[in-house]
Amino acid sequence: MLRDDGRVSGWQGVSLVAITYVYFLIFAQFAFLKRLASLGVAGSHLTAVMAAMAVGGILFSLLTPRLSIWPSPSLRLRIGLCVSASAAFLSLLPIGPVACIVLSFLIGAGLGLLTVTLVTHLRCWMGNRNPLLLAGLGTGVGYLVCNIPAFFNASAEVQATTAGLLCLAGVGVTFLPMQPQPEETPATPQTNYSFLCVLACFTALVWLDSAAFFIIQKTPELKAGTWEGSMHLSANGALHLLAALASVWLLRRRGLMFVLSASFLALGVACLLLLDPHRIALASIFYPIGVSLYSVALVAYPALLAPVTSAAERGRQAGWLYAIAGWSGSAMGIGMGQHLGSIPPLFVLASGAVILLSWPHSIVQQHKREVTLTLAMLLTAFGLNCILTANDSPLQLTPVERGRQVYISEGCINCHTQYIRPNSPDILMWGLPEPLQALRHERPPLIGNRRQGPDLSQVGGRRSPLWLKLHFYNPPEVSGASIMPSYAFLFRDQRGDDLVSYLESLHGSGLPQHRSEEENWHPSPSAVASANDRDGERLFHRSCATCHDANGETRWADHFKRLPPDLTVGPYLHLSLAEDLAQRRNRIARIVKFGVHGTDMPGHEYLPDNEIASISLWLSQQIRQPNHNP
Amino acid sequence: MRSDALTLPSNAPRPVVSAAAHALFWLVFANAIGVLIAILLLFPALNRLLGEWTYGRWIMVHLNLELYGWMSLPMVGFLFKVYGADRGPLALWCRPVLWVWSAALAVGAYSWLTGHSSGKLFLDWSGYARVLFPLAMLALWLLLAVAFVREWKAATIYARGAKAAGLLLLLIVPFILFFASSPNYYPAINPDTGGPTGASQLESSLIIVAILLMLPFGLARRKAERSKAIAISWAIMVAEFLLCFVLGRADISHHRPAQFLSLGSLLIWIPLTPAYYAAFNWNANTRRWRIAFLCWWAALVLSGWVLFLPGILDHFKFTDGLVGHSLLAMAGFTSSLLIFVLVQLLGEDGWIFNRTRSFYGWNVAVLGYVMLMTAAGWREGFDPTFTILPGVARHVIYILRLVVGGVMLAASLDWLIDAATLLRESSVVHATQEATS
Repeated sequence: MLRDDGRVSGWQGVSLVAITYVYFLIFAQFAFLKRLASLGVAGSHLTAVMAAMAVGGILFSLLTPRLSIWPSPSLRLRIGLCVSASAAFLSLLPIGPVACIVLSFLIGAGLGLLTVTLVTHLRCWMGNRNPLLLAGLGTGVGYLVCNIPAFFNASAEVQATTAGLLCLAGVGVTFLPMQPQPEETPATPQTNYSFLCVLACFTALVWLDSAAFFIIQKTPELKAGTWEGSMHLSANGALHLLAALASVWLLRRRGLMFVLSASFLALGVACLLLLDPHRIALASIFYPIGVSLYSVALVAYPALLAPVTSAAERGRQAGWLYAIAGWSGSAMGIGMGQHLGSIPPLFVLASGAVILLSWPHSIVQQHKREVTLTLAMLLTAFGLNCILTANDSPLQLTPVERGRQVYISEGCINCHTQYIRPNSPDILMWGLPEPLQALRHERPPLIGNRRQGPDLSQVGGRRSPLWLKLHFYNPPEVSGASIMPSYAFLFRDQRGDDLVSYLESLHGSGLPQHRSEEENWHPSPSAVASANDRDGERLFHRSCATCHDANGETRWADHFKRLPPDLTVGPYLHLSLAEDLAQRRNRIARIVKFGVHGTDMPGHEYLPDNEIASISLWLSQQIRQPNHNP
Repeated sequence: MRSDALTLPSNAPRPVVSAAAHALFWLVFANAIGVLIAILLLFPALNRLLGEWTYGRWIMVHLNLELYGWMSLPMVGFLFKVYGADRGPLALWCRPVLWVWSAALAVGAYSWLTGHSSGKLFLDWSGYARVLFPLAMLALWLLLAVAFVREWKAATIYARGAKAAGLLLLLIVPFILFFASSPNYYPAINPDTGGPTGASQLESSLIIVAILLMLPFGLARRKAERSKAIAISWAIMVAEFLLCFVLGRADISHHRPAQFLSLGSLLIWIPLTPAYYAAFNWNANTRRWRIAFLCWWAALVLSGWVLFLPGILDHFKFTDGLVGHSLLAMAGFTSSLLIFVLVQLLGEDGWIFNRTRSFYGWNVAVLGYVMLMTAAGWREGFDPTFTILPGVARHVIYILRLVVGGVMLAASLDWLIDAATLLRESSVVHATQEATS
């Protein structure tokens, strides 16, 4: 069945790699576990079943290169595929715990035999034309297939059957022509790292990946954010494929260690993001990228890149790699996920140290001076900082002081000013200016330089704590289409309430005077003349309906001091029977512009007169006679 | 040029190439953040994906990395060259100093993203980062001081004096930065706007002028024929510093004639600076960036003064109009000046900045950005809701702003890729020379 060099197109190798990945990912990692759950295997039984798989995998990964029987790679591969297919079909039977243990061992053994044989002789099925690209393509296609929504969401039985059938198809592929095992070539500088170093890096990556995978699987809100929904799954599949191809490109251009480091960065970031369920969307981008980057290397390194002198040595290295990094790393990662429920940042750092410190050739050796001086300066700065802060006694800050610090930390000054300019339109909108001396007492003054939002120097006089809190949770909801980000995360600890306390403390000394000026304000005659009720209705729905419509999003009744009235029915506490229509329109305009002090009703100070007049006109038409007052 | 670099010994001093590469890395990084910020303005819901690293924190990173990364590292390269640190055995220590600088920036960026800030714009250094960055500056100073001592005998008496004075000034900078980042110090405030006074703007502008006047002495030789522009320029600068001293540092409004008239004295630099630079011999390949920086300088001085005038400043204060002016200063004038300096330092290797696409891409994008922001600021001055509330016009401006930001990012990426190529080729040449010797 052997053909001359160069006559193998390579698609056999691609399909064998893809089949192996699909079998491992969708059957061994998913379907078999679901099947065990449906068979009632749990607790210590489940642990024993999983341990049996690991034992089978480790044992056969190490034994395969040393087996003297079945010397033909094709035959050995066929046996591995047949064992794997049999295990998948047997899992469909209603078996007991002991049989599950045996079956699990069979899955591990089949995979051990299959994977080590495949990578040891991969070039026989890949050919010599771009084998690295083909290995990456096989890996990427494997992940892509697993993420096809219909397949991913299918029942365990369908997944197991498909995996088994794919293995049988793989058996068919092994009967196609292959090329002889090529001569081993000397190591290139890019791959000239010690095997132990590479093994340690892969182990750290598989450990991280398995822990993250297990935690996502077991946490419904994380799972919902990563593997649920057709769009999400399709995007994951595409990301896997693209990352696999990127991995090929990087392996060629930057070498193995670069790819492993990039993979660690992506996986490490994903693991850290998983600590916060709110960042799961971001984690779901980094995770597949990190996984595919190293998965390609996990095939390419033992098959194509390892600096070996014989096929036997290649096989032995592949065996150790899959036994230690693959099976043991995976088992340890799952154990960590089971016992801790999360990946401690320190562990991520330690993994990073293993991988990134594996760059001694390129970093420490070539940049001794740079690394030494940088480390020395980092340490010196640390020591100096300790000395400078040694005498700082821990201050007991008030909530207002802590809130001011939160204001600074979040960079609020980049969008909000705290400075009302004298003799300017600022005064009517936001209050009377304060003397500079008062500002000079602040450490530092938070004047700001840009207004993406309103001035906040006297916001405490204009907004209630409840309104501020609602606004921080979801700004567009209470402040018509605001572009401010949500700061709901601040309320997971004390920071949110501190920030609200700080903003509530921002009052000007001229507040009473400003209130009296508000009382005398009315829209300009030209604005009143140009007002129209259609604009009023549109503006009402943008700025007011969230509270004043019966279906308004913000009507958290139990939080308001008084439930905001549905303005189609009232009650209208702040309107009077004695007022004529013009007076009522002015009254409504004042309420719209400045709010109702002492309540949760905010003003809309920044709206121009014509918009205020339009809202006022429309509302005065909608509101029935204010004789509904209780 | 590029194909020759592998066979011919490069005439680019490697520390300067390294400094350019570090500077460009931070430029690309900061510009990418700028694009992210522009995207967040258009799609604020994306902030949720960023967890606690929201818009306000990224702005700090963006601004500080532009200033302390992109705008500082080319000057570090310039100082290497002027003090001779890029020659002989000391050259081996230039790259470590650049690493320390970049490490301090990385620590700073992380500290701002994790919510550590002094609350002062462009002086956000706080905690550990506030100690580390001045230390990085001191590491540079130490290298320059050693180079100065080493070259003592070779230098003329004038050069020795100028370099010694420069070293003294540079020694103060880290301490100024450390103390200026403290929340306890705040500059004079214009009571009518909350911004800087005319005197403080004049002072900071004169520091720029002083740098502009000093730069050519470290970069080029004077032309044989004597030029009055040099003596006149220095005399005017001294006179303006005296004027600044007389104006003092009180909290004074821009409505006071003394403030806006004194700031108007800077207009003299519009004709004077080109005349001053014409008195020196420059590499031919600096021409387009020299013209660019002089044009941006003229635009900056003129628009800076006009925007400070009573009525106009009141209209534009706190609007996008002043954001556009800041960009004119940083991306227009300062960036083109720094690139001009780098091209002069790199000599023939300055080709990395002279691609037509990136030159026009950058400058047209900056001009477009400034015009957009000025238009937005003009509109906003009449109606603050223009920014606070959504609207078609505002969205269009944000979209265009994102587009020009993307062009600026692409141009900077182009320079970075070329700089990396140059660095690699220069390393190969270096290695080949070492092997041959």
